[in-house]
Amino acid sequence: MEQMHLIRRSLEIMKGGEKAALATIIRTKGSTPRKAGSKMIVYPCGRIEGTIGGGCGEAEVIEKALEVIKTNRHSQQRVDLTKGLFYEDGGICGGIMDVFIEPL
Amino acid sequence: MNPDMYKKLEDTIKSRKDIFLLTITDHPDSKLIGSKALLHTDGKLFTNYHLPANLKQRLIENCDKFIRKKHSGSVRFFSNDASVECFAEYFPAPLHLIVAGAGHVCEPMAEMGKMLGFYVTVIDDRPEFANRIRFPEADEVVCESYINYFKNIDITDKTYILLLTRGHKFDVLSLTELLNRNEQPAYIGMIGSRRRISGVFEEIRQEYPNESFDHLYTPVGLDIGAETPAEIAVSVMAEILKVKNQKSGSSLSEKIKKYAKKGFHEGGGTWNKCTS
Repeated sequence: MEQMHLIRRSLEIMKGGEKAALATIIRTKGSTPRKAGSKMIVYPCGRIEGTIGGGCGEAEVIEKALEVIKTNRHSQQRVDLTKGLFYEDGGICGGIMDVFIEPL
Repeated sequence: MNPDMYKKLEDTIKSRKDIFLLTITDHPDSKLIGSKALLHTDGKLFTNYHLPANLKQRLIENCDKFIRKKHSGSVRFFSNDASVECFAEYFPAPLHLIVAGAGHVCEPMAEMGKMLGFYVTVIDDRPEFANRIRFPEADEVVCESYINYFKNIDITDKTYILLLTRGHKFDVLSLTELLNRNEQPAYIGMIGSRRRISGVFEEIRQEYPNESFDHLYTPVGLDIGAETPAEIAVSVMAEILKVKNQKSGSSLSEKIKKYAKKGFHEGGGTWNKCTS
């Protein structure tokens, strides 16, 4: 299971003393590319493992996650996919999701 | 999350029980944010984070609805005047596929079962067939007599059983063993030719007059003309998915053809209404 794999990876990261952040979708409303529980690990260099849906929404979360790594403080980010609906890279989804980001 | 908790989570899933991972995602005391706990479906909570006793109790009370609905979700509630938000992530136990008879068809069956996320058990009474070398992907390879195995195995609505033993008599013995138990698996499939099965089926029907046989599928598989072991595995797996997802098993294009006969064109009706 993908979720289990990412949890296992975050444990390995913690054990190895590396820095990273784990982002988890905790709430969705309307049509979103992925559902609650989907996870993504963000490394300080911006590399990711797993996905919370890709596109601009994911990019916003990656940016926030880098902040979380720096400050070592949890954060929540609301991703509004209804905004970009008419833009070229707005994706085909029109929902809202809340993402919980925790430092590892 | 810590290694100890992860192990508990993994072990619970491996023992084929549902479980929830709770994360505190908001709390006035920021030290508590990110704390985790495991919630079993019987309402027992496990955590090695320092959570106040009252908060633990409130977590159990407020996450109970997720156990009943069997899905993930977030909930906000008050605990000692503190507004708390918790995310409960559902980890459903995998469906259990038991393949009895470790012959030719069993190999692609076990492989496909793993591919589709089942917890796969292979059982045979011959050690030269029921071994790890033949089934590296299976979660469990059991070498035991069929009757003993089916007498003691856990059966729930997540259990899918396939009887493909070398002799029809072992299939029938296993089947009667299963029918003697009160638990109902989601699916029992028994391989065999139509002719051979009809006789056996008649006999069993008389022996178990109260049984509906709704979940018994014999001969196994969907009608796709399967011949080789791999083809048979596709046919049987398709039937198992059909039962699991409660669908018809017919081609998706069939419906469109039916509509087409009635003169259905996509969007046609609506456009006419708009323009008139």
